[in-house]
Amino acid sequence: MDTSNSPSILSIRGLQKSFGSLSVLKDISLSVERGNVISIIGPSGSGKSTLLRCASFLEQADGGDILYDGQYALRDGVYASKAELNRFRTRFGLVFQNFQLFPHYSVLKNISEAPLLHGEDKEEVRERALSLIRKMGLEGKEDAYPYQLSGGQQQRVAIARALAMRPEILYFDEPTSALDPELTGEVLKVIRQLAEEKMTMVVVTHEMPFARAVSNRVIFMAGGVIVEQGHPLEVFDNPQEERTKQFLRVFER
Amino acid sequence: MTLMTMIVKMSEGLGKTCAIFFLTLIFSLPLGMIVALLRMSKVRVVSAITRFFITVLRGTPLMLQLLAVTYGPYYLFGASVARNKLIPVVIAFSINYAAYFAEIYRGGIESISIGQYEAAEVLGYSKLQTFMRIILPQVVKRIMPSVTNEVVTLVKDTSMAFTVSYQEMFTIGKQIANSQTSFVPFLVAGVFYYVFNVVVDYVMGRVEKRLDYYK
Repeated sequence: MDTSNSPSILSIRGLQKSFGSLSVLKDISLSVERGNVISIIGPSGSGKSTLLRCASFLEQADGGDILYDGQYALRDGVYASKAELNRFRTRFGLVFQNFQLFPHYSVLKNISEAPLLHGEDKEEVRERALSLIRKMGLEGKEDAYPYQLSGGQQQRVAIARALAMRPEILYFDEPTSALDPELTGEVLKVIRQLAEEKMTMVVVTHEMPFARAVSNRVIFMAGGVIVEQGHPLEVFDNPQEERTKQFLRVFER
Repeated sequence: MTLMTMIVKMSEGLGKTCAIFFLTLIFSLPLGMIVALLRMSKVRVVSAITRFFITVLRGTPLMLQLLAVTYGPYYLFGASVARNKLIPVVIAFSINYAAYFAEIYRGGIESISIGQYEAAEVLGYSKLQTFMRIILPQVVKRIMPSVTNEVVTLVKDTSMAFTVSYQEMFTIGKQIANSQTSFVPFLVAGVFYYVFNVVVDYVMGRVEKRLDYYK
């Protein structure tokens, strides 16, 4: 499938999105290189989640470009065909704030149904699902139902479910915001582990120490624009913009 | 007429009572889903028209609808009244119950969070796969208690077929009551319906239990 040698898995250029008269994304541009982890931080309502939702086609952007591996999914505000978008969809995975596991499916089925529906080999999918379950530290939970799991365990199942589709890039939309503080650690740990394995990821998060430790790049968004971005040490320790400083001060406690 | 004779005579109508009951369920349960989907259509006109029909079917007596379906064609077009009354009876019941089921389905479908659709979409489920595999099973579980309510009501509503003289159990009972000037046939009918509903309750309870494996 690698027809392009473009180093960026995802490129976004001049992305625009409004809800009615409210402009949520104003001319957003960013690119994500293979193997990188990018954290997006910023106050609520800054458009971070909307950005991820546009990148995963859950929201329809009003203008700009979205490219996966150099191929246009959105060009100048016009989307590619349905069939093409479906192909792009196999390239990314998305982990939601509130997990969105399928409650009527066991852990194993939650993880394995999507690849099976894509016509993959049954045994192969099963092996992959079981190894993902082990990797997420959920051995013995194969047949459990989501309601029998803690929030942290549910989110790890959701991560395994996304990974089972073997995405090239994984999006996290505030993956620990719905968790009790003592459970955020176990989820951040598996994301960190994925980062060490060079999984390409974009993480919208409020966990500043995590963003600082794991990301190659931090993007600070406010009011629908990217205010500042750079290496985590630069952004966190030496922010240039007043808006960034103001935001980060809240976390200095 | 002895009690035993009454019971035997009325039992002969039980087959027809069951015919109304099962045929109505067979037609109205799926029809209700179609109506629900039309009701939720994004095309305004479609949803408005469907909504109007639902309000008519829920807002007028079932008895009136039975009469309309059975004798309406005669009064409107001079068509002969159906020889086999089961047909108009089942049509009237099915349409009426479909309207109720449609509203139950709609409530169930709308109670599923949008996040479930989004999760399925990102994982590459088609619209149909999402509905059949992710949404519908959860809807079925949620609406079971309301559906049971309707099914129990349907058992009793079959007695309304007497208005068009369809020879089901209650119609026969009513005829006996008239000819014998006795209240006993009504008591017999009451027992029949009660026993029928005990069975319905048991069966629906089993179904609900089978769906109890998750929350």
